[in-house]
Amino acid sequence: MFRKFYLLYGFLVLGTAAFGQYRGWSLDTINQLKNVPKSVRDNPGSYRSVYSGYHHYTGGK
Amino acid sequence: MSAGTPPLPGTPKLQARALNCPKCGAAIGLRSFGQAETVVCASCHCILDAKDPNLAILQQFEIKTSDVRPLIPLGTRGKLRGTDYEAIGFQRRSTQVDGITYCWHEYVLFNPYKGIRYLSEYNGHWNDISICKMLPMSEGTSANYLGEIYKHFQTCNASTDFVLGEFPWQVRVGEKAAVTDYVHPPRVLSSEKLDTEVTWSIGEYMYGREIWETFKLPGAPPEAMGVYENQPSPVATNVAGMWVAFAAFAVLLLALIAGFDMRAKKEPVLHQTFHWERAKVANETSFVTDVFELKGRPSTVEVKTWAPVSNEWIYLNYALINQDTGQAWDFGREVSYYSGYDSDGSWSEGNRNDSVVIPSVPSGHYYFRIEPEVDPAVPAIAYSVEVTRDVPVFGIYGIAFLALLAPVVIISFRAYAFERSRWSESDHPPMQFSSSSGDDE
Repeated sequence: MFRKFYLLYGFLVLGTAAFGQYRGWSLDTINQLKNVPKSVRDNPGSYRSVYSGYHHYTGGK
Repeated sequence: MSAGTPPLPGTPKLQARALNCPKCGAAIGLRSFGQAETVVCASCHCILDAKDPNLAILQQFEIKTSDVRPLIPLGTRGKLRGTDYEAIGFQRRSTQVDGITYCWHEYVLFNPYKGIRYLSEYNGHWNDISICKMLPMSEGTSANYLGEIYKHFQTCNASTDFVLGEFPWQVRVGEKAAVTDYVHPPRVLSSEKLDTEVTWSIGEYMYGREIWETFKLPGAPPEAMGVYENQPSPVATNVAGMWVAFAAFAVLLLALIAGFDMRAKKEPVLHQTFHWERAKVANETSFVTDVFELKGRPSTVEVKTWAPVSNEWIYLNYALINQDTGQAWDFGREVSYYSGYDSDGSWSEGNRNDSVVIPSVPSGHYYFRIEPEVDPAVPAIAYSVEVTRDVPVFGIYGIAFLALLAPVVIISFRAYAFERSRWSESDHPPMQFSSSSGDDE
């Protein structure tokens, strides 16, 4: 019973991996935005990244 | 109901002969017709010769405890494996191991057409037992019965402590027999040696609830404690078969990796080096790249950044913007690399290369808006950005591999733990790990 379930589960995992690969899934977290104004191309400063002002690591052991 | 075995009459009543105990005069009922060799008087605990018309007294014993009571009352009937049986005898047996006494109970069941079979109970674990029809072959630590190999589990000296009802052999309290068990769950093969006579029996594990349903007993059966020698593993699956299935899936996963890797376009769409100088930068540092086209189905876009940083950092606010739809993917990436020397020697952390994969980007015309932030100690730096369309994401395969592996590992561990618990009670316990550190020598 469990072997049958595992076989089904295994094919589901492989199918999901294949589908994800085909659809271009990624493990990175990327913030998506819609309706960015076309004026950004002419005036890049009019756009503010949600990540600006990030606290930067200054290194050192 | 199996063919040729009509049901027993509905109301249990004493069959064939009703006699009186020659010692105390109590009524003695013989349920097993002529099959009983001995019968025990429930009043005075005399073991009587059932073959003797006068019920000659063979032995009288004292009850040492008052809690010896059969869970299946004698005279109770039930349908076991399609045949009606009546409980006619009960005995408690025990063995001593390392000074500890282990007790179990055995029930004699009778059907006038099928004969005798037995039930045993130990700590809530039950076995349906019958005498072997063929002689098993025992070789060393295993035995072969009807082509099935049974592993030796334990050998002990069993003593009969208490008897009640009828027995198809000359039972005696205090009788000792050498019992050897071989297991092949859910079956157990037992040899019982009494003097020169060896009796082989085959048992099959039963759950308490099955016994309760069979004999329609009131209440609930005693809860099974621990793992019994022939108890079927709750992980009712072939662990080796699971690993074979996992190996097959791993091969399929490799084929998937190879297939998608060959099929991926890995098309370079932008590769540019940008120069940043603090002196030339006023308030606004952001800029946009040239427009490039992404083709094909929605797929990945990989952005690689390289910067020759050394004990410094550069942070890039990226926005991949679809010129036509206004859809944007916003993310920030830091490139930093630090190194030095201390009392432990040289050290380094960070990387001059960074890579990120944007998921499911549809086709269209795109450009990047880049806004660099640079370590205040850096007066100028050149960094390069490389953008590639349709790259495989190996992390997905890694997750798939772990997802395939996890159930097999869990099942294997559960099966191992169960078997370890089973065999820890045997004559062949698994290796025990000592908690001692060995410092106390």
